[in-house]
Amino acid sequence: MTARGIVGSVAMTLLTGVGPLSAQPTSESPAAPSPARALLDQYCIACHNDRARQAGLSLQSLEDPRIGQVPAETEIWEKVVRKLRSQTMPPPGRPRPEAAVYHRVALSLETELDRVSAANPNPGQPPIHRLNRVEYRNAIRDLLGLEIDERELLPPDESGYGFDNIADILAVSPALLDRYMLAAERVSRLAVGDAAIGPSVETYTVPYTLWQEGRMSEALPFGSRGGLAVQHHFPLDGEYVITLELQRAYGNHIRGLGEPNDIELRLDRARVGQFTVGGDGERAPWAAVSQPTFWEQSADDGLEVRLDVRAGTRQVSAAFLDRTAVAEGVLDARPGVSSHAYSRDRNAAMALESIEISGPYNAVTPEDTPSRQLVFSCYPALASQERSCATEILSGLARRAFRRPVNDADVQPLVTLYDEGRRGADFETGIQFALRGILIDPEFLFRVERDPAGVAPGTAFSITDVELASRMSFFLWSSLPDDELLEVAARGELREPGMLTRQVARMLRDPRSGALIDNFFGQWLLLRNMRTVTPDPDAFLDFDENLRGAMEEETSLFVESQVREDRSVLDLLTADYTFLNERLARHYGVPHVYGNHFRRVKVATAGRGGLLGQASILTTTSYPNRTSPTKRGLWVLENLLGSPPPPPPPEVPGLPDATHPDEGRQLSMRERMEVHRTSPVCASCHVLMDPLGFSLENFDGIGSWRTDEGGTTIDASSTLPDGTHFNGPAGLRDLLLSREERFVETVTEKLLTYALGRGVEYTDAPAVRQVVRDTARMDYRWSSLIVSIIESAPFQMRRSREP
Amino acid sequence: MIITKKHLPRRTFLRGLGVSLALPMLDSMVPAFASATSAQATRRLGVVYVPNGMFMQNWTPAMLGASSGPLEITETLRPLAAHRDRLLMVSGLCSEEGIARPGEGAGDHARAAGAFLTGVHPKKTEGHDIRAGVSMDQLAARVLGRETQLASLELSLESAERAGSCDPGYSCAYANTLCWSSDTTPLPMASDPRAVFERLFGAGGTTDPAAWLEARQHDRSLLDMVTAKVARLKGELGHRDRIKLNEYLDAVRDVERRIQMAEQQPTRELPAMDQPAGVPGRFEDHAKLMFDLQVLAYQADLTRVITFMLGHETSNRAYPEIGVPDAHHALSHHGGDRELIERLKKVDVHLASMFAYYVGRLASTPDGDGTLLDSVMILYGSGLSDGNRHNHHDLPTLLVGGGAGQLRGGRHLQVAKDTPNANLFLTMLGKLGVPVEAFGDSTGRVQALSV
Repeated sequence: MTARGIVGSVAMTLLTGVGPLSAQPTSESPAAPSPARALLDQYCIACHNDRARQAGLSLQSLEDPRIGQVPAETEIWEKVVRKLRSQTMPPPGRPRPEAAVYHRVALSLETELDRVSAANPNPGQPPIHRLNRVEYRNAIRDLLGLEIDERELLPPDESGYGFDNIADILAVSPALLDRYMLAAERVSRLAVGDAAIGPSVETYTVPYTLWQEGRMSEALPFGSRGGLAVQHHFPLDGEYVITLELQRAYGNHIRGLGEPNDIELRLDRARVGQFTVGGDGERAPWAAVSQPTFWEQSADDGLEVRLDVRAGTRQVSAAFLDRTAVAEGVLDARPGVSSHAYSRDRNAAMALESIEISGPYNAVTPEDTPSRQLVFSCYPALASQERSCATEILSGLARRAFRRPVNDADVQPLVTLYDEGRRGADFETGIQFALRGILIDPEFLFRVERDPAGVAPGTAFSITDVELASRMSFFLWSSLPDDELLEVAARGELREPGMLTRQVARMLRDPRSGALIDNFFGQWLLLRNMRTVTPDPDAFLDFDENLRGAMEEETSLFVESQVREDRSVLDLLTADYTFLNERLARHYGVPHVYGNHFRRVKVATAGRGGLLGQASILTTTSYPNRTSPTKRGLWVLENLLGSPPPPPPPEVPGLPDATHPDEGRQLSMRERMEVHRTSPVCASCHVLMDPLGFSLENFDGIGSWRTDEGGTTIDASSTLPDGTHFNGPAGLRDLLLSREERFVETVTEKLLTYALGRGVEYTDAPAVRQVVRDTARMDYRWSSLIVSIIESAPFQMRRSREP
Repeated sequence: MIITKKHLPRRTFLRGLGVSLALPMLDSMVPAFASATSAQATRRLGVVYVPNGMFMQNWTPAMLGASSGPLEITETLRPLAAHRDRLLMVSGLCSEEGIARPGEGAGDHARAAGAFLTGVHPKKTEGHDIRAGVSMDQLAARVLGRETQLASLELSLESAERAGSCDPGYSCAYANTLCWSSDTTPLPMASDPRAVFERLFGAGGTTDPAAWLEARQHDRSLLDMVTAKVARLKGELGHRDRIKLNEYLDAVRDVERRIQMAEQQPTRELPAMDQPAGVPGRFEDHAKLMFDLQVLAYQADLTRVITFMLGHETSNRAYPEIGVPDAHHALSHHGGDRELIERLKKVDVHLASMFAYYVGRLASTPDGDGTLLDSVMILYGSGLSDGNRHNHHDLPTLLVGGGAGQLRGGRHLQVAKDTPNANLFLTMLGKLGVPVEAFGDSTGRVQALSV
């Protein structure tokens, strides 16, 4: 023990009267303090003692042999472990232990914390869990074979801990129930194919700033230019009207009327309409403010087809025939889409504004649709068979909707609804009405887990196989378990040796696992925010819808390939490839990528390998008109290193005035930030965030590479508070890799949060460590991470309810 | 790339759904049902909220020490000048409960929104134990809502759809709403005009109340089934689950009550409005459409309490259409930069001009013997004053409308510094006929609103 440590202990005893040592009524000579205690005494309690309580924390009377006996202390110990592992305490400038000491003490504490937790796990007690709207959409798809647009039917969900599937946050309000009732009515009519569904109009609009050049999608024919392809659900067999509208320039002139353009309309890739527009009408003379002629405003009247369509989800597309014989990759210079030149120019290439689909007219109930196949598992030939068939249908639907075997008590109320709907109408109306009941049933809308009979309150127990099946399917598919999973669980075989792994592998192969990519990565990596970022057209003339879409697509394809190819989690940072189309390749300065379709491209240059070089992340962590090293740094700390800085104090002083106090010249943003950081209050956080962000300064606010900013050369070198020096994106990547356990642990915590639908607490720390250890043995592969999470105590168990 | 998601149409209205008239509504149709409410002036409450505070020098007129006086039209108020004698500015109010407590640190925006209408300090948490208090509008709704199908409406121009956390350490729920029906239940705000229309008039695409009622009467047996099921589940589950189920049950009762109300209300003919197709792409179109729906809701007497956020706290909306490409929240932290301040002023005026559109609509919509503007009491303001410094004192507060004879406008009232915001709300509730003795952190009432 060092002199300093002794002084610390003595002082502590004097202050409190009862030091931990004197509390032990033992006759032995005072034992040497444990290594952990000694470390706290030597480095920590100068600030974290009972009197000073820096950051509201005292470490003065903790004793590690007591771990597990006092829950409040367990939480503090977990905090201590975290600070030791990240080596963020003691603060810079204070004496610090050797790295080996950090490691040794952390390890011994972890071992003890894990032992105690294994003996007495606390898996949490999530309340009943409302489906969020994406889960609702997927559940409808899997239950009824129906694609719905959840964004139109249901309001968005609130999020917490960075995700929108958190049980505690997902509430029900009268307005929401209103929407559920409306959705239930619409969905049940669509599922059954109720011929009384009135006509409705759906309009699919092409974003104004999307350049319609080249073949826009895999769904459009080769040799086409511009246009749009959509998946549309036609609810009934009947007549539908499909109408095309063309884009207008600023003065309401239809664009590109100077020459004839051929437009093709296709339904499930078969041509159902062909039009020629342009080249043959009266055009207004050129003028600074040109008044369009009638023809210039109405040349797209009558781009309309009325046709019979069979019920189902079908692809509708419209595109121009590409008459220009321009070789791939040779693009005309074009104005920025937000510029006046673009918005005013009636001579820009003709473009599609929207596809409008209205109908059905003269509709009949379809004989056969995927939905009807799923719903009508039997069909009564005689009136006397109706009720028994209804019971069969509703039992099957209830089993899948409630995700568990059902009994009479479950089905009887549904049959009563059927009877009511049947009265004065027909069999199908009865089924439809009972289906509405299922769709607003709390056991459909909520995931419910029950305590086993006779379990004492507050004890940890394993959830049933059937409940586990639901947890797995909502984790991997954001949807209901399928028949196979539910069968296996209902037979009680889900936890048999090898079965979990087999089912997980099967589920990950299933296309439904795309939900994990969209929902987990979409939120963790802020991809969803790409849809709402609004880069300033003055600062980033180059930004358009094509680029926005491409950025989102790149990251999405990238993470999907990572998971599907079962790569190491670390490969998110180190991958030497990405997915590009021509638009994004041009943005990145990568040559030889032509056309709108995405392909895998090796990119070893200029920091583009891995997530840190992807424009989506670099854009969502910027302001509309400039980069924000602070936002980028904060994102790295929170989402890659799992150590968010302490929150800034209230009433944060603002940035200083933009003018230099003495010289009268304008200060640069970096200079102003540096002044801001001279305030110690501000500095304590910014010294952590800003260096991480500065290393990415070579990427501008929309992620394109730059070497200077307004004439000043970019300085991407940084130093962390602990003296670690690094430079540029590659330097940041290596820095993260040097802390690979922290990175993997952070990914694990994020994925566990998403998997459980609740915040990860200190009580979960042992489970997180277990997952990281197991995964490390499997080279951090995604499959092992996912399986380990599913096998972890918080996923397998719950704590019984207190009354 | 196949685009499977529907793009939000820039056109606001659906074509071809039944017979409908375009806005503005035909005033000639109004007397047919206005008579139903003319016996006693109907009291209505509205809240219109500006996020991220304001540039206060352009909001508050100089008072020269007087405690009240005629209202001077300042730069930010200019769009509202035509309605000057319906404006009552109250200065000096404070949202004390929005201020950080020791150790809480950042999160002033979440706290500003959470405390604004509740007068209660929002609990700092990301998840399982969010808590503030019942908001002022919801107290009003408990009384004013007895006579309408919908107790209240909660609306916003921004969707809650944001990835990532919001203010650090605070659930996004705090910054996304102002309305709390209990101290643990924040009410989500609707931002899609189509959904708002359907909430008001059902999915039939028509404003005809009879069609709505017929469709809803069938819902009764569904609701009965659900109620029985919830009762069964409650027996099997624990305390925290029961809270969730009670929320659900309350919602069921609310729908049942609405059907009853609709049955009792006299059938009235309403101006037809096209069902909106979705969220318009332009901010201005979206704002005006949401205001149109509010006018319609008051006019049809479907509700008397509406809370509307022009953006959620920490809104980072940019307004390129008025030459402000900067994100609003970032801009509010202008740090004294003159250029940035100029842009922030533009945003303040832009939002005020959207609001002025609403006030103009209310002023031109007959109601009883006067107009809707005579009957409403609308609070226009923010939970922060100077956003740059996260100031919770001297909040910008404007009462708009006649409050059914309870407000006298054209004035500027300076209350004692740091008078709780809740005092004003308590006074407003009194004038709305809602008997409440104390509210949030209130210490008394604000005098002279109606002198």
